[in-house]
Amino acid sequence: MSEFDAIVIGAGPAGASAAIRLASSKKNVLLVEKSDPPGSKNVSGGVLWGSSLSSIIPDWEKSAPVERFVDTKSVAFLTQDSKIGIDFSSKKLQQKKTGYTVLRAKLDQWLARKAKEAGAMVINGVTVEKLHMENGKVTGVEQGGDVITSDAVILCEGANPRVAIDSGLHKRLSDRDVAIGVKEVISLPEATINERFHLKSGAGFACEYVLGYLQNGVEAGGFLYTNKDSISVGIVVSMSHLRQNDATHSFDIIESFTGHPYIAPLLEGGNMQEYSAHLVQEGGIGSMPKLYGNGYMIAGDSAGFSFSNGLVLQGMNYAIDSGIIAADTFIEASKGMDYSESALKLYQDRLESSYVMKDMRTFKGIENVTWSPFVHKKVPAMLESLMLNLFMEEGKPKKHMTGMLLDAMSENDMLKASSIMEAYRMMRRM
Amino acid sequence: MVLEIIVMVKQVPDSQEVVIDPVTMNLNRSLTRNVTNSADENALEAALRIKDKVGANVTVISMGPPQAETTMIECLARGADRAILASDRFFGGADTYPTGLTIAATISKIGKFDIIFAGEESSDSSTGHVGPGVAEFLNIDQITYASSVDYEDGYVTADRELEGGTETVRVPTPVLVTVLLNSNSPRMQTLRRKIDAVKKGMEVWDHDKIGLQPEWVGVRGSPTIVRKMRPIKERERAAKKIDVAGLGDLARELYEKKILKLEEE
Repeated sequence: MSEFDAIVIGAGPAGASAAIRLASSKKNVLLVEKSDPPGSKNVSGGVLWGSSLSSIIPDWEKSAPVERFVDTKSVAFLTQDSKIGIDFSSKKLQQKKTGYTVLRAKLDQWLARKAKEAGAMVINGVTVEKLHMENGKVTGVEQGGDVITSDAVILCEGANPRVAIDSGLHKRLSDRDVAIGVKEVISLPEATINERFHLKSGAGFACEYVLGYLQNGVEAGGFLYTNKDSISVGIVVSMSHLRQNDATHSFDIIESFTGHPYIAPLLEGGNMQEYSAHLVQEGGIGSMPKLYGNGYMIAGDSAGFSFSNGLVLQGMNYAIDSGIIAADTFIEASKGMDYSESALKLYQDRLESSYVMKDMRTFKGIENVTWSPFVHKKVPAMLESLMLNLFMEEGKPKKHMTGMLLDAMSENDMLKASSIMEAYRMMRRM
Repeated sequence: MVLEIIVMVKQVPDSQEVVIDPVTMNLNRSLTRNVTNSADENALEAALRIKDKVGANVTVISMGPPQAETTMIECLARGADRAILASDRFFGGADTYPTGLTIAATISKIGKFDIIFAGEESSDSSTGHVGPGVAEFLNIDQITYASSVDYEDGYVTADRELEGGTETVRVPTPVLVTVLLNSNSPRMQTLRRKIDAVKKGMEVWDHDKIGLQPEWVGVRGSPTIVRKMRPIKERERAAKKIDVAGLGDLARELYEKKILKLEEE
């Protein structure tokens, strides 16, 4: 007989959600987290999109430590001298709140507390070394020479799944699977933030940027989110670009971003509270591991569930829902006391019929769009020259918009048949 | 008869993250991570080594709010046998005098003890009062600032690090020993022991259980009066970014300003 019904490795959104669901169904669950307290090693931009939490914590919008709801969502291209962006602010976003900025150090601690309240045993400050296998079946975890047994293990380790890799359930990460996120949390008075971003109390601003000014073919995205009395600002740069350019450092990129003429004024006068860096899942469906097997399931970032189309970055919603689906699968499997691969296939089936896998399949190959010279170099440069042509009044005869657009496109090599085909293929993927 | 060892521990804010509330001038404990006072981890390790050697019953005690539970569980997970937290709203706001009294009364309530261990001082107030205070309240001998501790046949032998050198003392039990920070390497917590610690849990004793009057403890029992506190002004540093190529010029400039010296001089 196992000591626990289920062991969940990792108390991020995926693991905590799984543990809450399992404990709420009276399962004897152990949630193990390496950081102390939970959340102190986690980094996310972060905006929590969607309302996945409502199925495990119905009043989460009132009780969770969220910072601000997203009232203005923007995307922008930055060139050396310019910012070209689209702002979307809507009363509709005030009525139906779709995204909240969060600080993970607070959110993850709160989720772990909820898991404890639901009846899970939460242990933090200890790192599980590997899975315990008996006859090709996962039957627990190993740590410090001891074996802690369970009927099944749910792995929610995040973007760098050490236990899954060391246990042979996940291939080693390659450069194309991951990016590096570097983030600063800069404190500013609440009133200053409201004034600077034209926000009412409680409302927030979230923007993703394409850093079109970077040299040597380095591609990076930026983000800026407002918290209650701080701003989360950071960059995501692909690992292969960092590796290919020895002279490029992630800290230089974040400095160039926070020092950009149209970003720096937003942060002026603030104090840096936190500086952090973390791996980011980028591989898409191509780098997903097998999500289940004899006695185990993989959820959240470890499973490769993240989404970025350049307009929005998402991960926590997929983490929460995949954690809940894994827990539900366990509960279903426990009825027949069967945690074999064939019983846990239900996890994959349920994921396939949920938005989690549907999104992963619909946006297959999206990483080739978000990481491309077309988006990172040509589009920003073209937009800048188009805008300059539109607004520079030099006493010369004006052209029609289409003429200007064509000029700007040809200046940036975008009128070639190959470029047009590339753009078309990209549009379809988005 | 099995040796009874008591270890006094305290949960403190992580010194790397301490935030002072600009209005009240108190530590803002809600914003900082709480950890076990480092020297107390060394005290526990010293106790556990004696337990490993001759066998002992190790009880950790602390005075503090309920969130000190994480520290108590951590001590159990490192190898303590029992954890008692003296916790009561009457204990709040105590200076070192009623703290020592409360802990001494808790120890008396436990009953038999041979050795009491404490860290040399806490990282958040750095007084070093409470350990010696407890020894005085209990009217037993004390060994302070011990860098190594051993026990044999009813005697504790310890090295004390003093300004002039090291003093070795041998004292019969019962005795209280305060242990120097970093004098040993505390053992790791394991998942197995941590699970067992959570299952075992801690005991919480209030003033009634310990047998203390509310007016003897906490802020009412504290003779200290804080007249004024002020923050130390942070020195403005001329943060200057320099190019590696300009390193030579910078070195010359610093040399000329006599900030930098050549080794031969």
